[in-house]
Amino acid sequence: MEYSSTTLPVQGMICASCVAHVEKALKNLAGVEEAKVNLMSGKAAVDYNPDKVGITDMVKAIEAVGFQVPPDELSFKVTGMSCAACVSKVEKTIKALAGVSGVVVNLATDSAIVNLYPGAVDKIAIKKAVEGLGYSIEDRGNAQSELDRERQAREDEIKKQKRNMWLTWPLGLITMAGTMREMLGMENMIPAWMANNFFLWAVTTPVVIAGGWQFFVKSWQGLKRGVTDMNLLYATGIGASYFIAVINTVWPDAGFGGPQATFYESAALLTAFIVLGRYLEALTRGRTSEAIRKLMSLQSKVARVLRDGQEIEIPAEEVEISDLVTVRPGESIPVDGRVIEGYSSVDESMITGESIPVEKREGDQVIGGTINKNGAFKFEATKVGKDTALAQIIQLVENAQGSKAPIQKIADVVAGNFILAVHLLALVVFGFWFFIGYNIWFTPDSTFLLSTSSLGSIGVFGFSMLMSLTVLVISCPCAVGLATPSAIMAGSGKAAENGILFKGAEAIEISSRLKTIVFDKTGTLTKGEPSVTDVIATGSLSGDEVLRLAALAEKNSEHPLGEAIVRGAEEKGLAVQAVGSFNAIPGHGIEANFEDKTILLGNRRLMKQRNIDIDSYVKQVEDLESQGKTVMFMVVDDQFAGLIAVADTLKESSVEAVQRLKEMGIKVGMITGDNRRTAEAIARQAGIAYVMAEVLPEDKANEVIKLQKQGDKVAMVGDGINDAPALAQADVGIAIGSGTDVAKETGDIILIKGDLRDVVSAIEVGKATMDKVRQNLWWAFGYNTLGIPIAAGLLYPFTGWIVSPQLAALFMALSSFSVTMNTLMLKGFEPSMKKHQEHKAANQMHEVAA
Amino acid sequence: MNEHKISAVSAFWYTGISLTLALAFFLVTSGYDRIARFGGTVWVFILSMIITMPIIIPWIKKKYN
Repeated sequence: MEYSSTTLPVQGMICASCVAHVEKALKNLAGVEEAKVNLMSGKAAVDYNPDKVGITDMVKAIEAVGFQVPPDELSFKVTGMSCAACVSKVEKTIKALAGVSGVVVNLATDSAIVNLYPGAVDKIAIKKAVEGLGYSIEDRGNAQSELDRERQAREDEIKKQKRNMWLTWPLGLITMAGTMREMLGMENMIPAWMANNFFLWAVTTPVVIAGGWQFFVKSWQGLKRGVTDMNLLYATGIGASYFIAVINTVWPDAGFGGPQATFYESAALLTAFIVLGRYLEALTRGRTSEAIRKLMSLQSKVARVLRDGQEIEIPAEEVEISDLVTVRPGESIPVDGRVIEGYSSVDESMITGESIPVEKREGDQVIGGTINKNGAFKFEATKVGKDTALAQIIQLVENAQGSKAPIQKIADVVAGNFILAVHLLALVVFGFWFFIGYNIWFTPDSTFLLSTSSLGSIGVFGFSMLMSLTVLVISCPCAVGLATPSAIMAGSGKAAENGILFKGAEAIEISSRLKTIVFDKTGTLTKGEPSVTDVIATGSLSGDEVLRLAALAEKNSEHPLGEAIVRGAEEKGLAVQAVGSFNAIPGHGIEANFEDKTILLGNRRLMKQRNIDIDSYVKQVEDLESQGKTVMFMVVDDQFAGLIAVADTLKESSVEAVQRLKEMGIKVGMITGDNRRTAEAIARQAGIAYVMAEVLPEDKANEVIKLQKQGDKVAMVGDGINDAPALAQADVGIAIGSGTDVAKETGDIILIKGDLRDVVSAIEVGKATMDKVRQNLWWAFGYNTLGIPIAAGLLYPFTGWIVSPQLAALFMALSSFSVTMNTLMLKGFEPSMKKHQEHKAANQMHEVAA
Repeated sequence: MNEHKISAVSAFWYTGISLTLALAFFLVTSGYDRIARFGGTVWVFILSMIITMPIIIPWIKKKYN
């Protein structure tokens, strides 16, 4: 028995007992011969029988005893894939390697993202497996070098196919003119020698060899490794047409319709159309990745920094954290930072989608890649290199573009078996027309569709082979393969242009099917900057003293309400010292000690829990709450000392966003830990009827589950930090950007700016993208479903229609071209909210001018 | 089993199956003219090879790896 060996990284082991646990778990697996775990290196070396146990079983066994096997992710650039069948082959091959837990190959981006267990499999094994299939594979570099490489490869392909077109088209048209001289009645215009079969042979041969050679080479490379792709269909089609034509020239009585139907024009035009298709594809395919290119172009090349008191110009990538950077009017901001001196307005539209410039003054954050408008300022670099918002956005968009939408699974399955199925069908079609169809339905006056060319005295073999050949040529798995990824690329790019980041294709797909959206209240629907509106002393302390004690108790709190109290006290000039101890009681309030005093500040639940009597103030509290104010109760040394009311205001965009969502037929809800009266007051202002109030932070996810149980797709919109569990539970978590650290936000969709109208835009982009996916898939499947039977001669007995191979090639070329062109139409899409804002801004400008 | 041997075993199977199909075609077309009979046999053989190669090669690889 031959055993395989592998080494797996194991995390979480702290002692020899852990080692024993892991070893035992591994050894208990049937098929594991030996397992040795090293505590110091954190690795498990396993000898195993691959027929009985896999790496995934070992990982599960280790995780079952409480340890982790951290997976790694590698990204590769795979070139040479031409259709979805190639994608399927590459995925299957990589997935078959022991130690690979997942793989996503994307045709539109030529990328392969491999999830693996380090030690169990390495880069070399992956590269070897892919190269064995006949494709080129290399590590992916950074986004810029990838784009350069992709652009170079595309330009090379365009150049190559353009060169082929210069050869195939003129010669193809000469062949067509010669072949159709008599049919077109152009005997006087076209000399007779041009119709000579040996002349046509001489003209067609360079077309097939120079233009079609690429397809023969690639299909043979794949075939000998057991891989079929689009090239095989081209090669079989071109090869067989040429072969028939040569036979017809050398042996005119062979039964292919005699010397008048040589098929040279089929071979030549077939090659010309396929080359045209390749050229158009190369021309349009790169355009879907324009969004990344646009984002990349925002990155500044140089930065002006102050070092040793001198202002020097350095490459932007050499800026270090804490460097002082100066920015002049009209310049691009090189990295993220915080303004320390000066004032200006900055155009952030390229990052946030916000068209109005944002004012920046001391203390404000600036984002690298945005444009300084009129003033000059100095800022301290806080994030550089790959940590800048722009770099993170590029990474997120890249990841989204490389991911797969669930809808693509169907397309992948179909496309993976498509080429084989088409060849099988071609064999069946050949057999049918050879043994049955020809004798029953063939008439010598039959002509090709959209042509006057008659089939004449074509024999049973020639006719059957023609039908079989046309089936091969008309089928187009390329359109099936491109339908989804090209739309996802364009959609995620369009979203990024509007300050919306989708973390994956699945988020795009689900966002288009949302039925319910739940908004968090504080910081999401409201500005999250509440202020103190009322302070009511209920005991011996004065109002100011109540506020001061509340403020010092809240001094260490990061809750927006606590911050409002601290701000309120400071604005009144009250001294807010540090407290002795501070304890947050989640969902209830806080407890703090100051100068032998115990201060409790919180909601009704806290009062009830501590048996504090607040009954005589209930009416007053209810009045404040019905005005949308949040009331906090303060207790000092077990004595009820006062009430503090804090109010937060709705964002200007909230009402508009909620109204539009309702118009779109989406149920809108609000969730908050606040009391029902306050929550309902805010919800009323926002136009929300469904309110979930007094929900503890840990219960927000449960409320989302309840909504999901009703069978709807639910989105949760929150600030990404407090609402993380609910965002994770929702079908789509939409995080409102809380700063420039976009990559760390929880959620499937990140809105870079806190404008809730972007929730509407995200859904609209999702819907528009999925519409394109559906249209593309419908077109790709519809084209093949309709084209293949017609090419197979299904309509011939009733209509006499036969599709010529060259017409089939034209249809095939147009099929993938039309899918890409349809996708590119997404470039013109504009979310309704943005259109509305622009319209409003234009009206305002008009009024000002008037 | 090394790659070379896998290729040889695979070739034996896909060529064998394709030849069998082509031969079957040849035998059942005895009533047709020579061009149709021989041409058809070659076409059936080519298509059979194209169909069987991507099925047989991965199957043999899987079996012996």
